[in-house]
Parts: sequence; C-alpha cells; structure tokens
Amino acid sequence: MAIRSKTFHESYREDIKLFETIWIKFWIGLFLVVLSVLPLIGDPYIVYLINLSCIATIAALGLNILTGFTGQISLGHAAFFAIGAYSTAIIADRLEVPFWICLPASGVLAACAGLLVGVPCLRLKGLYLAMATMSFGVVVEFVVITWENVTKGVRGMSVPTLSLLGFSLDSNNKLYYFLIVLTALAIIAATNLMRTRVGRAFIAIRDRDIAAEVIGVNLTQYKVMAFVISSFYAGVAGGLYAYVMEYIHPEHFTFLLSVQYLAMIIVGGLGSILGSVFGAVFITVIPEFIKALAQFLTLLFPVLQDKYDDGWNIAAFGLLIILFLIFEPKGLSGVWMRIKTCFKNWPYTY
Amino acid sequence: MNAGFLFFIQLVVSGIALGCLYALIAIGFVLILKATDIMNFAQGEVIMLSAFICYFLVTTFHIPFLAAVLLTGIAAGLMGIVTERLILRPMLGEPVFAVVMVTIGLSIFLRSMAGILFGHNNLVFPSPFPREAVKMGGIVLSQTEIWIMLSSLVLVTVFFLFFKYSRMGLAMRGTADDQDVALLMGISVKQVFALIWAVSFATAAASGVFLANVMVINLGLSSVAISAFPAIILGGLESIPGAIIGGLAIGIIENLAGGYLDQVIGGGVKDVTPFVVLFLVLMIRPYGLFGKKEIERV
Amino acid sequence: MEFKKMKRVLIAIALICLVVSPALAERGVTKDTIKLGLILVKTGPVAALGLPDGHGMVDYMRYLNDQGGVHGRKVEVIWEDDEFQAPKSVAALKKLIHRDKVLSLITTGGSNQTIANMKTINKYRISNIPNALMREFFDPYQPYIFAMGATYECQYQCIVDYIFDDMKAEKPRIGVLYAKKEYGKIGLKAIRERAKAYGVDLVSELVLPTGAVDASSQVLTLQKNRVDYVITCDVLPPVISFLKTAEKYSYKPKAVFGFNWATDDMIVKACGKGAENYIGVNFVGGWGDDSPGMKLVRDIAKAYGRDPKSLGLTSLYIHGVGASYLFGEAFKRAGKDLNPDSLKAAFETFQDVDTGGIFPPLTYTDKSHAPPEMVKLFKADVPNKRLVSITDWRTPKKID
Repeated sequence: MAIRSKTFHESYREDIKLFETIWIKFWIGLFLVVLSVLPLIGDPYIVYLINLSCIATIAALGLNILTGFTGQISLGHAAFFAIGAYSTAIIADRLEVPFWICLPASGVLAACAGLLVGVPCLRLKGLYLAMATMSFGVVVEFVVITWENVTKGVRGMSVPTLSLLGFSLDSNNKLYYFLIVLTALAIIAATNLMRTRVGRAFIAIRDRDIAAEVIGVNLTQYKVMAFVISSFYAGVAGGLYAYVMEYIHPEHFTFLLSVQYLAMIIVGGLGSILGSVFGAVFITVIPEFIKALAQFLTLLFPVLQDKYDDGWNIAAFGLLIILFLIFEPKGLSGVWMRIKTCFKNWPYTY
Repeated sequence: MNAGFLFFIQLVVSGIALGCLYALIAIGFVLILKATDIMNFAQGEVIMLSAFICYFLVTTFHIPFLAAVLLTGIAAGLMGIVTERLILRPMLGEPVFAVVMVTIGLSIFLRSMAGILFGHNNLVFPSPFPREAVKMGGIVLSQTEIWIMLSSLVLVTVFFLFFKYSRMGLAMRGTADDQDVALLMGISVKQVFALIWAVSFATAAASGVFLANVMVINLGLSSVAISAFPAIILGGLESIPGAIIGGLAIGIIENLAGGYLDQVIGGGVKDVTPFVVLFLVLMIRPYGLFGKKEIERV
Repeated sequence: MEFKKMKRVLIAIALICLVVSPALAERGVTKDTIKLGLILVKTGPVAALGLPDGHGMVDYMRYLNDQGGVHGRKVEVIWEDDEFQAPKSVAALKKLIHRDKVLSLITTGGSNQTIANMKTINKYRISNIPNALMREFFDPYQPYIFAMGATYECQYQCIVDYIFDDMKAEKPRIGVLYAKKEYGKIGLKAIRERAKAYGVDLVSELVLPTGAVDASSQVLTLQKNRVDYVITCDVLPPVISFLKTAEKYSYKPKAVFGFNWATDDMIVKACGKGAENYIGVNFVGGWGDDSPGMKLVRDIAKAYGRDPKSLGLTSLYIHGVGASYLFGEAFKRAGKDLNPDSLKAAFETFQDVDTGGIFPPLTYTDKSHAPPEMVKLFKADVPNKRLVSITDWRTPKKID
C-alpha cells in the first residue's frame, strides 16, 4: 500500500479541485464554527468590525479579479462601490422592494457602469488606466453630490432596514450571519471563476496580453468582462455597506477609499483569492488593533497618558505596510503559503 | 479693452500662475516616473512637509526667507536620498505594485508624522513678497505669482540644461532609457536613483514653499498633489516638457471653467473639469499628449 | 448526514444569537467615578477643528474634578479618534459602549458621524451634544440629542438682516461663496430665501472648494458682477484664501461675512488688513469678551497650559468648554442617582441656563431639544489681531 507523504495530483481534475485535502475541509469547517459562535462571545464592536471586513472582502475580491488577475489597475473602485450603495439606498427607499432585488440590482447597475468605463478604457494600460479610472471616481463623486433630487446630495441618505423572510435584520449581530454567508458565496464564486476558461483567460491577459490574443483570447471581450465582474462585486459590497451603515454620504466614497481597496489587495496578495480576504481583514482590523494596543500601553505607563498623540497609531499603520512589503512583497498570501509549506513538508522544512 | 475680454485674459493669466505650480508638482512626479517607473504617492506629503519645514525655519528660527528655502530644499533632498536608500532600494526588482504600495504606506506614515511634529493648526506663512499687486494694462498679478512664474521658469531651464549637458544628467537620461545598457556603460544606477529621488523631492519642496505662500498650511496641503494628477497624465507620464504644458493647460482650464461654467452649470465644475478633460484626452491619445508611444510588434 | 447535523446546530446557534438581546446593565457610573466618552477627530486635516474642541471638553472636566467633582464623583473622559470617517466613528461608539462601558458621550462628532450613529445612540440612551447645526437633530424631536448652537439657517438669516437693518443697504448686490458640504448648501438656500424676503435676488452663487489652491476665478467673477456684500458658507482655510486673493485684486466689497466655523481670531491673524471688512457670526462668546463665562474659559485654558496662541481655533475651545459645562450642570442636577435616563431628565430641566456668556441662555424640555437660535456678530480688530463682538445675542427678526 502506498503511503502518501504529500499531496500529489494525479489528474487535471484533482489539480483544480476546490478543496485539496480532507484537512482543508476540516479547517474550513472549524473556522466556520468559530465564526458562527462568535457573536455569542464577542461584543457588538467585534461583530461590527467583522461585518466591515466582510464588505471589504467582497469589494477587494472584485478589485483583485480586475487588478490582480487581469492586470488592469483601477483607482476608481470606490466609485463602483458608491454606485452600489446609492442604488441600494434609492431602490430600497423609493420602490420599497426587498433586499433580494435591491442587492443584485445594485450589483447590475454597478456592472453597467463598469461596462461604461471598461469599453473606452480598453486601449489604456498601467498608470494611464489608473488615472482614467480615478477620473471616473471623481466624476461619480461630483454627480452624487450634485444630483440632489435622487441622491439627496451632501445631506446623505438613510437606508431602510434589511428584512429577510420577515425578520428585520436591524442590528449588526443579526446582519452578521447574512454577511458571512454572502461573503462565503462571493469567495466560492470567485474561486470557481478562476478555475474556468474565463479565469485562465484573465490570467493570460495579465501575463502577456499579446500572447493571450495570439492563443485565441478575445482581449476586448475579456477585458470588459473583467471590468463588469469586478464592478458587480463592488456594487454588491456597496449595497451591503448601505445596509450595515444605514446611512450613506458622498464623503464615505472618496478617492482614499479606492486607494484603500488597492492597499487591501496588494497587502493581501495580488492574484490570490485568499489574499483578498487577508488584505481586507488586515486593513480593516489592524488600525483598531493598533489603537487598542496603544490604549493598553498608556494604561501600563500612565506617564504617556496626556502626552500620547493618536497620530502615532496611524504612523505605525503606515510603517507596518512599508516594512511588511519590504520583507514580503508577495503580501499576506505569500506569508500564508510559506507557513503552509512549512507545515506540509514537516519535518523536512528548509 | 472691453471688460469681457479683460476678464478672459485675467482668468488665463492667473491660470498660468496656478499652472506653474501644477507643473512644478508634476515635474516632481515625472522625474521619478521617468527613471524608475514608480508613481510616488508620497509626493504630496513631501510638499506638505516642506511647507511646514520652511514655515518653522522662518518663524521659529528667524532664518531669512531665501536661506530657509535653500535649507528646505536640502532637507527634502536628504529625505529623498534616505527614502530611496531605506525603502525603495530593498524593493528593487519587486513587482511595481508592491513598490507603489510602499509609497502609499510612506504617505500615510509621513502625513501622521507631520501631524505629530508640526501640530494640526492652520498656519499662515509670513509671505516675504510685498502685498501690493502689479498692474499691467488692467491685468493684475500678485508679486507672489510673478515670483512663482519666474522661479518655475528658472527651475525648468536649469533642469533642461542639466539633462542636456551635465554628465549626471546624461547618466540619468541613459538610466531612464534602459537600465541594463546604462549599467553596461559604467553608469552607477544606484547613484542615479538616489539623485533622482533627491532632485524630485527638492522640486516638491519648491512647490511646497510656493503653495505655503498662497494657501493656508495644514495637513490638507498634501491633497494638492491629487489635483496635479491630470497635469501629469495630460502631458504624458514620462515627459518633462509634457508635465509643464500639462500643468499650464490644467491651470488655465480650471480657471476658465471656474469663470464661465460655474455660473452656468453651477456647483463646483472647476474641480471636476480637469478630470473630465483628462478622461477625454486619454480616449483619443492613450499615452497622453507627449507620452512615449510603445510600439508593440507581434 | 454529519453535515446536516452541523447545519442544525448552526441554525440553533443563529437563532439564539437573534433572540439574545444585549444586556443593558448600568454603565459607566460607580461610587466615585463617571465614565464619559468623546468622539472627535484627532488626526488628519480636519483635526484643526477637532483638537481644540476636544481639549476644551477635557479641560473643563479636569477643572470640575479639581473643584471636587460632582456629588463626590470624578469624571473620566475617554477620547476616541474617528479620523472624520463615519465607519470609524461607528466602531468607536460601539467600543466606548461595550468595552469602556461609558455612561454617555459628550459628543459623537459632526453631522455625518452623528447620523450614522443615531440608532445606537437611541438604543443605548446616549445623551450627547452633536457638533453639527442641522435642523434634523431637533426637528423632529430626537430623545438623546441636545442640540447646541444656532442652526446654519438662523446664522445666515441674521447675516442678511444685518446687511439690511444695520448696514442700511439699499438694493445690495449680494454674492455667495459656498462649499459643497451640508453647511454650504443649507447656507446658500437660507441666504437665497432670506434675500428674497427682502425683495433682492442673489447676484452670484459660486463654489469655493475646501481645498482650493487659489480663488482667482471666484474673486474675478464677483468683481465683474460688482458684488458688494459677499457671504461665505465655508470653513476657515478657503475663506482665508479668498480674503487674500481679494486683497490681491484690490477687490473691496463693503463686507465679507462668515458663519461660526469661520468666525475665529485666526482669520484676522492670517489675513491682517485683508480681513478689515470681515464680519462673522457665532453662537459662542468672543475670547476677549468681558463676561464671567469667558473669564472662566480663559482661566481654564491658563490653568491647564493651553496657550491661546498655539491652541489653534479658540472659538472651538470655547465651544468645547461650553459643551462640557452643560454636561457638568446636568450631572449636578441628576443628583446621586446617575444613569442614562436621569441624565436625560436632568438635561430636560434646563430652563434659561446661564453659561455666563459662553453660550446664549438655553432651555431644554422633554418635548424639545432645540438650541437657542441666537448669535453674536463679530468684526475684525486688525491692530489687535482679533475679532470683537459688535452686537449682543440676537435672533433673526420676524418677516411676514
């Protein structure tokens, strides 16, 4: 009887399997159990942070599909996110339709915007593309502020509570499960997408667009498709954001948010589904973590109490990003891979 | 001259003054881009820090304005060298994305350091330029603006001569063109990179000092760099003349939009117009007006 | 089959989570301390507004503690930074309630943040004084929001009244510079309607962006349209930019007006002679006012080492001290038995509470938490680099 010392792939099907080993299934199961009991143990503060991370994850997944997998840099992701958020707010408020129409609708509307940007941007590359998408973001912000009849402009919009099968999900603890399930779906969908012809075409475009075209990938079609899928994700995430915050305002969707999403996927790992998750959680949770640490330190050393400047928290966050990328340019998913191989090959790690 | 025409000319002239500032900021970006292919997102923070440094040199240490400007430039240059050595050298050869992200991290870091070191108050620079404006045939220009235009002109000329005739300038151009060939020709690419960062940061310092003279100094100053983005792209990422023309064009367009469109359409068209123009230009010329057109042979 | 079992367990857990509502224990009050929260921006570009305000709030509470506290309890203030971002503000409020277990918050920040937090505020009965002056906060009645400070509408009505009544302007040519923010839009609308009531239309309505590098096109347009009364609806830095640019083009309107966020000594320090014709309105007293309240503010600043020169915006420090003063007053009235409900009830006993000139006298009842719609007007005193009040508290006059 052959003893398997490692995972070997014997067929192509095995190579692209979603869960490679039984252990992965086990760990994922355990993780889900922990997640599901968390609201019982943790306070609403933690639950809220996880909710925000979930939304960030979905949006970051979208950006990673466009930027990480297809290689099209976007600095306008916040604009699609905003379109999603406003669509949900407006549709839910005016038409009073349930979420299962609102959310997909806002995804579709954002995707339409993606199509609108994707087509003229076909010829652009690199930083030129980044700037073009950024201008789109500026224009969307302008429209949201100016089109007061619909968006209520700078007064901001209240969003009706999400109700699911008659239950009103009016608190973060109740929204939590809903968000976890949707995020899981988004992750599975993205992973699956990357296993198909479409996903491989995206990667081919990223690696060498001309070569991709030579082997029969229709550049126009796939580049636009990447834009559309990416903005669909952003739109859905934006809709969820509207439900979680219950109030949206143009100031929530600035250029800085786009930069933040870019930061998530780069810190997490470009072209990695897991990386998007890591990055989203990292960028959302780490500042709060640093804050808590600083508060703990001031308790420990009361001398600091009055002198402490909160600017240090943010400086530390910036420094963390710099150091992190210097030592691990592949991002968190690179770290993860290394740890995993380390365990996999144990005791023969080198 | 009739009043309507005068209004137009005045808008254009003050647009040129504004455009000179944008051009200076854009040159700072382009220098680094040209040589190292890195979009330095921390450029705005360098501008802001320089404004603060110059302010404190003049007010707290009572250093004369010109000396303070020189010191600020040197300080910024040193900051550029340190940044290159500590942060960007280790990133050599890493994917561009990671490098860009590092500059974003740097911008976060520098902005909060500025808050810690210099406080959050709105500061007003004791301008060394006389307050009386200069009138020429009905067109008004403040002395600050005249100095901004003159100094930009001088700086640009110096850059031109430097890149055209000096040994180091040639080395820089060579490096920008092809790093491997430059290495083979015996150019120290490391030195060139360090110098590029220093020069770029010093340029940022110059624009910071000028901005300090026209705006309130606070942490928000760093976002001016974002308004210069259209100028960079419009001119094409890798062209210094392009950056200058792009800067001037954006300055004029912004002012004209403010003067004419704002009244008609209403509501802050002034800020959006540069981005709309940028978008349209990119649709027609995907590499800006003066950018390198990459020829791909298949 | 196992999966099915797990699913059932999961559903059961989920249901329990839905049912268990957060326990509402008494928060933040012990025998000798009161824990109080505070969310205001401490970092980034907007910190120029948040820091002096928060310092004022903290300093007054220190002063209160040094006086022996309230009913034997010392007040402990926990100040969270929200970086002026609504999601972070929401996180900070959740942390303050569930981690630090504060009794209440002095303020949850600006309008954007307060609206985002509204549900939590009502659920956990957080009495607070928002740093925003929108009607929505008291009309309709919000049980835990105690609005302080004249609304933007009131401020701009008083400005227009001043142009017509005090400056006796005949057919004035009024121009408005506004930011694309709540205050800008509300201000513009209020001015437009008020001017209309006097039978005058606005000559120019221009946007002055908050981060404007220069205001040339705005100044030139105003000059071209021969505007002689400029009303700004914008915060300090752009107003300073505007005044400096106006000076450059030797554009001298009869008066330039600004609202409370731009009425600070800073403007005279920054523009010097350029601020000669500047008139501001504010709902707090002036730093140099000869009133007991303002003397208290100056004494507190001195006692806790806040130099008015490096303090930043003094008007916001005054606001901060005033807001804390109201909380101190409420604590005194609530007595020994302090909890969210008694705190709210204590606020609602306010009847013409006199802050000695920090704020206008104010009244809250259990039906209305409306602020006193009163402002003072200030004029630049260029030689002494400060603003001096030129009127007493005044309200917009009735126009039929």
